[in-house]
Amino acid sequence: MTAEQQLKLQALLDGELPEKEARETAAWVARDAEAADLARELRQTRQALADAEPGLRVAESREFYWSRIERDIRRLEQAPTLSQPVSVLARLRRLLVPVSAVAALVVIVLATGLWVGFWGRPIRPDTEMTMADSGAFTYHDYANGTTLVWLDYPAER
Amino acid sequence: MAETDLSSADDAALVRAAQKWDMGAFEELVARHRDKIYRRAYSMMRNEDEALDLSQEAWVKGWQRLKQFQRESSFSTWMTRIVINLCLDELRKQRRQRTGSIEELDEDSGGVERQMPAVIVNPTERLERGELRQRIDRGLDQLSYEHRTVLVLHEFEQMEYKEIAKAMDCSIGTVMSRLFYARRRLAAVLADLKDAK
Repeated sequence: MTAEQQLKLQALLDGELPEKEARETAAWVARDAEAADLARELRQTRQALADAEPGLRVAESREFYWSRIERDIRRLEQAPTLSQPVSVLARLRRLLVPVSAVAALVVIVLATGLWVGFWGRPIRPDTEMTMADSGAFTYHDYANGTTLVWLDYPAER
Repeated sequence: MAETDLSSADDAALVRAAQKWDMGAFEELVARHRDKIYRRAYSMMRNEDEALDLSQEAWVKGWQRLKQFQRESSFSTWMTRIVINLCLDELRKQRRQRTGSIEELDEDSGGVERQMPAVIVNPTERLERGELRQRIDRGLDQLSYEHRTVLVLHEFEQMEYKEIAKAMDCSIGTVMSRLFYARRRLAAVLADLKDAK
Protein backbone atom coordinates (compact mmCIF):
# COMPACT_ATOMS: atom_id res chain seq x y z
CA MET A 1 0.00 0.00 0.00
CA THR A 2 1.42 3.36 -0.92
CA ALA A 3 1.59 6.33 1.43
CA GLU A 4 -0.97 8.09 -0.71
CA GLN A 5 -3.38 5.18 -0.43
CA GLN A 6 -2.93 5.08 3.35
CA LEU A 7 -3.77 8.75 3.69
CA LYS A 8 -6.73 8.40 1.35
CA LEU A 9 -8.06 5.56 3.45
CA GLN A 10 -7.71 7.68 6.56
CA ALA A 11 -9.45 10.61 4.86
CA LEU A 12 -12.31 8.26 3.97
CA LEU A 13 -12.78 7.31 7.62
CA ASP A 14 -12.60 10.97 8.66
CA GLY A 15 -15.26 11.95 6.13
CA GLU A 16 -12.86 14.24 4.33
CA LEU A 17 -13.14 12.80 0.82
CA PRO A 18 -15.44 14.14 -1.88
CA GLU A 19 -18.37 11.82 -2.63
CA LYS A 20 -17.00 10.24 -5.82
CA GLU A 21 -13.55 9.65 -4.37
CA ALA A 22 -15.09 8.28 -1.18
CA ARG A 23 -17.07 5.70 -3.19
CA GLU A 24 -13.98 4.60 -5.10
CA THR A 25 -11.87 4.34 -1.95
CA ALA A 26 -14.57 2.42 -0.09
CA ALA A 27 -14.76 -0.06 -2.97
CA TRP A 28 -11.00 -0.51 -2.87
CA VAL A 29 -11.04 -1.11 0.90
CA ALA A 30 -13.79 -3.70 0.43
CA ARG A 31 -11.69 -5.81 -1.92
CA ASP A 32 -8.22 -5.26 -0.39
CA ALA A 33 -7.56 -7.21 2.82
CA GLU A 34 -4.58 -5.11 3.85
CA ALA A 35 -6.57 -1.92 3.45
CA ALA A 36 -9.46 -3.43 5.39
CA ASP A 37 -7.14 -4.32 8.29
CA LEU A 38 -5.71 -0.84 8.37
CA ALA A 39 -9.19 0.69 8.26
CA ARG A 40 -10.22 -1.48 11.21
CA GLU A 41 -7.16 -0.46 13.21
CA LEU A 42 -7.72 3.25 12.56
CA ARG A 43 -11.38 2.96 13.60
CA GLN A 44 -10.49 1.13 16.80
CA THR A 45 -7.85 3.67 17.73
CA ARG A 46 -10.31 6.44 17.13
CA GLN A 47 -12.92 4.72 19.28
CA ALA A 48 -10.42 4.10 22.07
CA LEU A 49 -9.56 7.79 22.14
CA ALA A 50 -13.20 8.80 22.22
CA ASP A 51 -13.91 6.43 25.10
CA ALA A 52 -10.96 7.28 27.19
CA GLU A 53 -10.15 10.94 27.05
CA PRO A 54 -8.61 11.54 30.45
CA GLY A 55 -11.36 12.83 32.76
CA LEU A 56 -9.13 15.37 34.43
CA ARG A 57 -10.47 18.04 36.72
CA VAL A 58 -8.88 21.15 38.13
CA ALA A 59 -7.53 20.16 41.54
CA GLU A 60 -7.87 23.67 43.00
CA SER A 61 -11.03 24.97 44.62
CA ARG A 62 -13.35 27.19 42.62
CA GLU A 63 -12.41 30.23 44.72
CA PHE A 64 -8.67 29.68 44.52
CA TYR A 65 -8.72 29.02 40.78
CA TRP A 66 -10.80 32.14 40.17
CA SER A 67 -8.73 34.35 42.47
CA ARG A 68 -5.71 34.31 40.16
CA ILE A 69 -7.83 34.97 37.09
CA GLU A 70 -9.55 37.89 38.80
CA ARG A 71 -6.24 39.31 40.02
CA ASP A 72 -4.76 39.17 36.52
CA ILE A 73 -7.84 40.75 34.98
CA ARG A 74 -7.75 43.64 37.45
CA ARG A 75 -4.01 44.10 37.00
CA LEU A 76 -4.34 44.25 33.22
CA GLU A 77 -7.27 46.64 33.43
CA GLN A 78 -5.23 49.01 35.52
CA ALA A 79 -2.20 48.87 33.24
CA PRO A 80 -2.31 51.22 30.25
CA THR A 81 -2.63 49.36 26.98
CA LEU A 82 -1.51 50.32 23.49
CA SER A 83 -5.06 50.21 22.24
CA GLN A 84 -6.11 53.04 24.54
CA PRO A 85 -6.29 56.44 22.84
CA VAL A 86 -3.36 58.69 23.63
CA SER A 87 -4.30 62.19 24.76
CA VAL A 88 -2.85 65.31 23.13
CA LEU A 89 -1.11 66.17 26.39
CA ALA A 90 0.46 62.74 26.51
CA ARG A 91 1.61 63.06 22.88
CA LEU A 92 3.07 66.49 23.67
CA ARG A 93 4.79 65.13 26.74
CA ARG A 94 6.18 62.25 24.70
CA LEU A 95 7.60 64.78 22.21
CA LEU A 96 8.90 67.16 24.84
CA VAL A 97 10.89 64.60 26.80
CA PRO A 98 13.54 64.01 24.11
CA VAL A 99 13.51 67.70 23.13
CA SER A 100 14.14 68.68 26.75
CA ALA A 101 16.96 66.17 26.97
CA VAL A 102 18.60 67.62 23.85
CA ALA A 103 18.13 71.17 25.17
CA ALA A 104 19.72 70.23 28.47
CA LEU A 105 22.64 68.70 26.62
CA VAL A 106 23.10 71.86 24.56
CA VAL A 107 23.10 74.00 27.71
CA ILE A 108 25.72 71.76 29.28
CA VAL A 109 27.92 71.90 26.17
CA LEU A 110 27.61 75.68 25.96
CA ALA A 111 28.39 76.12 29.63
CA THR A 112 31.41 73.88 29.31
CA GLY A 113 32.51 75.84 26.23
CA LEU A 114 32.32 79.08 28.15
CA TRP A 115 34.24 77.55 30.99
CA VAL A 116 36.95 76.08 28.78
CA GLY A 117 37.04 79.00 26.37
CA PHE A 118 37.89 78.98 22.73
CA TRP A 119 41.63 78.37 23.37
CA GLY A 120 41.08 75.38 25.53
CA ARG A 121 42.12 77.30 28.65
CA PRO A 122 39.75 77.41 31.57
CA ILE A 123 38.19 80.84 32.08
CA ARG A 124 38.78 81.51 35.71
CA PRO A 125 40.38 84.23 37.79
CA ASP A 126 44.13 84.33 38.23
CA THR A 127 43.83 84.16 41.98
CA GLU A 128 41.17 82.84 44.30
CA MET A 129 40.66 82.94 48.04
CA THR A 130 38.28 80.62 49.83
CA MET A 131 37.27 79.85 53.38
CA ALA A 132 37.54 76.06 53.64
CA ASP A 133 35.97 76.01 57.09
CA SER A 134 35.63 78.38 59.97
CA GLY A 135 39.31 78.23 60.80
CA ALA A 136 41.12 77.79 57.44
CA PHE A 137 41.78 80.27 54.65
CA THR A 138 43.04 79.12 51.23
CA TYR A 139 44.79 81.24 48.60
CA HIS A 140 45.28 79.91 45.03
CA ASP A 141 47.55 81.63 42.51
CA TYR A 142 46.87 79.88 39.24
CA ALA A 143 49.44 81.85 37.27
CA ASN A 144 52.28 80.73 39.56
CA GLY A 145 50.74 77.42 40.53
CA THR A 146 50.81 78.32 44.22
CA THR A 147 48.41 77.38 46.97
CA LEU A 148 48.71 78.72 50.51
CA VAL A 149 46.59 77.71 53.47
CA TRP A 150 46.36 79.78 56.66
CA LEU A 151 45.22 78.21 59.82
CA ASP A 152 44.21 80.59 62.61
CA TYR A 153 44.46 77.99 65.35
CA PRO A 154 47.52 76.16 66.59
CA ALA A 155 48.42 72.92 64.86
CA GLU A 156 47.87 69.76 66.87
CA ARG A 157 50.93 68.30 68.41
CA MET B 1 -26.98 39.78 37.76
CA ALA B 2 -27.98 38.69 41.26
CA GLU B 3 -25.94 35.88 42.78
CA THR B 4 -28.97 33.62 43.10
CA ASP B 5 -29.66 33.99 39.37
CA LEU B 6 -26.15 33.09 38.33
CA SER B 7 -26.32 29.37 38.96
CA SER B 8 -29.70 29.04 37.23
CA ALA B 9 -28.86 31.23 34.22
CA ASP B 10 -27.82 29.56 30.98
CA ASP B 11 -24.48 30.26 29.32
CA ALA B 12 -25.96 32.72 26.83
CA ALA B 13 -27.42 34.88 29.61
CA LEU B 14 -24.19 34.75 31.56
CA VAL B 15 -22.20 35.73 28.48
CA ARG B 16 -24.53 38.69 27.83
CA ALA B 17 -24.08 39.84 31.43
CA ALA B 18 -20.33 39.31 31.30
CA GLN B 19 -20.14 41.35 28.09
CA LYS B 20 -21.50 44.21 30.17
CA TRP B 21 -18.56 43.67 32.54
CA ASP B 22 -20.48 41.64 35.11
CA MET B 23 -17.59 39.77 36.68
CA GLY B 24 -19.86 37.60 38.78
CA ALA B 25 -21.42 36.21 35.61
CA PHE B 26 -17.98 35.56 34.16
CA GLU B 27 -16.88 33.80 37.33
CA GLU B 28 -19.87 31.49 36.98
CA LEU B 29 -18.84 30.70 33.39
CA VAL B 30 -15.33 29.93 34.59
CA ALA B 31 -16.68 27.59 37.26
CA ARG B 32 -18.82 25.76 34.72
CA HIS B 33 -16.21 25.23 32.05
CA ARG B 34 -12.88 25.30 33.84
CA ASP B 35 -12.46 21.51 33.83
CA LYS B 36 -12.94 21.29 30.08
CA ILE B 37 -10.52 24.12 29.39
CA TYR B 38 -7.97 22.64 31.78
CA ARG B 39 -8.40 19.20 30.21
CA ARG B 40 -7.74 20.56 26.73
CA ALA B 41 -4.66 22.40 27.93
CA TYR B 42 -3.41 19.26 29.63
CA SER B 43 -4.01 17.08 26.58
CA MET B 44 -1.77 19.39 24.59
CA MET B 45 0.89 20.25 27.16
CA ARG B 46 1.05 16.94 29.08
CA ASN B 47 2.06 18.87 32.18
CA GLU B 48 -0.32 19.77 35.00
CA ASP B 49 1.33 23.03 36.06
CA GLU B 50 1.58 24.35 32.53
CA ALA B 51 -1.98 23.28 31.83
CA LEU B 52 -3.20 25.10 34.92
CA ASP B 53 -1.31 28.29 34.06
CA LEU B 54 -2.44 28.30 30.45
CA SER B 55 -6.04 27.53 31.32
CA GLN B 56 -6.12 30.50 33.68
CA GLU B 57 -4.41 32.69 31.10
CA ALA B 58 -7.07 31.62 28.62
CA TRP B 59 -9.81 32.84 30.94
CA VAL B 60 -8.10 36.21 31.30
CA LYS B 61 -7.89 36.47 27.50
CA GLY B 62 -11.50 35.35 27.26
CA TRP B 63 -12.58 38.22 29.50
CA GLN B 64 -10.55 40.71 27.48
CA ARG B 65 -12.01 39.49 24.16
CA LEU B 66 -15.53 38.83 25.37
CA LYS B 67 -16.94 41.63 23.23
CA GLN B 68 -15.64 39.79 20.15
CA PHE B 69 -17.62 36.64 20.95
CA GLN B 70 -20.30 36.51 18.25
CA ARG B 71 -22.15 33.34 19.35
CA GLU B 72 -21.22 31.54 16.11
CA SER B 73 -20.24 28.64 18.34
CA SER B 74 -20.93 27.76 21.95
CA PHE B 75 -19.10 29.72 24.60
CA SER B 76 -17.15 26.65 25.71
CA THR B 77 -16.03 25.96 22.13
CA TRP B 78 -14.93 29.58 21.78
CA MET B 79 -12.99 29.36 25.03
CA THR B 80 -11.48 26.05 23.95
CA ARG B 81 -10.13 27.68 20.79
CA ILE B 82 -8.49 30.35 22.94
CA VAL B 83 -6.75 27.83 25.15
CA ILE B 84 -5.69 25.77 22.11
CA ASN B 85 -4.06 28.83 20.54
CA LEU B 86 -2.29 29.67 23.78
CA CYS B 87 -1.00 26.11 24.06
CA LEU B 88 0.18 26.14 20.45
CA ASP B 89 2.05 29.40 21.05
CA GLU B 90 3.67 27.96 24.16
CA LEU B 91 4.59 24.69 22.44
CA ARG B 92 6.12 26.55 19.50
CA LYS B 93 8.10 28.67 21.91
CA GLN B 94 9.35 25.58 23.72
CA ARG B 95 10.14 23.92 20.40
CA ARG B 96 12.23 26.88 19.29
CA GLN B 97 14.20 26.68 22.52
CA ARG B 98 15.35 23.12 21.94
CA THR B 99 16.82 21.40 18.95
CA GLY B 100 14.65 18.90 17.12
CA SER B 101 15.77 15.38 17.89
CA ILE B 102 16.59 12.75 15.31
CA GLU B 103 13.47 10.88 16.38
CA GLU B 104 11.32 13.89 15.62
CA LEU B 105 12.82 14.17 12.16
CA ASP B 106 12.10 10.50 11.62
CA GLU B 107 8.51 11.05 12.76
CA ASP B 108 8.01 13.78 10.22
CA SER B 109 9.07 11.52 7.41
CA GLY B 110 6.74 8.78 8.59
CA GLY B 111 9.25 6.48 10.26
CA VAL B 112 8.50 2.78 10.49
CA GLU B 113 4.82 3.36 11.21
CA ARG B 114 3.98 3.52 7.52
CA GLN B 115 5.29 -0.01 7.00
CA MET B 116 3.95 -1.46 10.24
CA PRO B 117 1.29 -4.15 9.72
CA ALA B 118 -2.15 -3.25 11.03
CA VAL B 119 -3.04 -4.28 14.57
CA ILE B 120 -5.50 -7.06 13.80
CA VAL B 121 -6.92 -7.81 17.24
CA ASN B 122 -8.90 -5.01 18.81
CA PRO B 123 -6.46 -3.95 21.54
CA THR B 124 -9.10 -2.16 23.55
CA GLU B 125 -11.40 -5.13 24.05
CA ARG B 126 -9.31 -6.77 26.72
CA LEU B 127 -8.43 -3.58 28.55
CA GLU B 128 -10.15 -2.10 31.58
CA ARG B 129 -11.12 1.52 31.14
CA GLY B 130 -8.45 2.64 33.58
CA GLU B 131 -5.75 0.68 31.83
CA LEU B 132 -6.92 1.96 28.46
CA ARG B 133 -6.62 5.51 29.74
CA GLN B 134 -3.15 4.83 31.05
CA ARG B 135 -2.04 3.46 27.71
CA ILE B 136 -3.56 6.35 25.82
CA ASP B 137 -1.79 8.71 28.21
CA ARG B 138 1.46 6.87 27.59
CA GLY B 139 0.92 6.95 23.85
CA LEU B 140 0.18 10.66 23.86
CA ASP B 141 3.28 11.28 25.97
CA GLN B 142 5.41 9.55 23.37
CA LEU B 143 4.23 11.75 20.52
CA SER B 144 5.87 14.98 19.53
CA TYR B 145 3.73 18.04 20.14
CA GLU B 146 2.90 18.37 16.44
CA HIS B 147 1.54 14.83 16.20
CA ARG B 148 -0.23 14.97 19.54
CA THR B 149 -1.84 18.31 18.76
CA VAL B 150 -3.19 17.11 15.42
CA LEU B 151 -4.64 14.07 17.12
CA VAL B 152 -6.17 16.07 19.97
CA LEU B 153 -7.71 18.67 17.67
CA HIS B 154 -9.14 16.05 15.36
CA GLU B 155 -10.33 13.46 17.85
CA PHE B 156 -11.32 15.58 20.85
CA GLU B 157 -12.34 18.82 19.15
CA GLN B 158 -13.69 17.30 15.94
CA MET B 159 -11.83 19.85 13.88
CA GLU B 160 -11.55 19.29 10.14
CA TYR B 161 -8.22 18.94 8.36
CA LYS B 162 -8.34 22.48 7.00
CA GLU B 163 -9.16 23.95 10.41
CA ILE B 164 -6.24 22.11 11.97
CA ALA B 165 -3.95 23.21 9.14
CA LYS B 166 -4.94 26.81 9.76
CA ALA B 167 -4.49 26.56 13.52
CA MET B 168 -1.09 24.89 13.17
CA ASP B 169 0.03 26.96 10.19
CA CYS B 170 0.86 23.98 8.00
CA SER B 171 -0.54 22.27 4.90
CA ILE B 172 -3.49 19.87 4.85
CA GLY B 173 -1.10 17.18 3.59
CA THR B 174 1.05 17.65 6.67
CA VAL B 175 -2.00 17.39 8.90
CA MET B 176 -3.02 14.11 7.21
CA SER B 177 0.47 12.71 7.49
CA ARG B 178 0.85 13.66 11.15
CA LEU B 179 -2.58 12.31 12.00
CA PHE B 180 -1.82 9.01 10.33
CA TYR B 181 1.49 8.68 12.13
CA ALA B 182 -0.04 9.59 15.49
CA ARG B 183 -2.86 7.09 15.14
CA ARG B 184 -0.58 4.27 14.11
CA ARG B 185 1.81 4.93 16.92
CA LEU B 186 -1.02 5.09 19.41
CA ALA B 187 -2.44 1.84 18.05
CA ALA B 188 0.92 0.20 18.64
CA VAL B 189 1.03 1.44 22.24
CA LEU B 190 -2.53 0.33 22.87
CA ALA B 191 -1.68 -3.11 21.56
CA ASP B 192 1.46 -3.04 23.68
CA LEU B 193 3.56 -3.78 20.61
CA LYS B 194 5.89 -0.91 21.18
CA ASP B 195 6.63 0.45 24.57
CA ALA B 196 9.13 3.25 24.66
CA LYS B 197 9.41 3.12 28.44
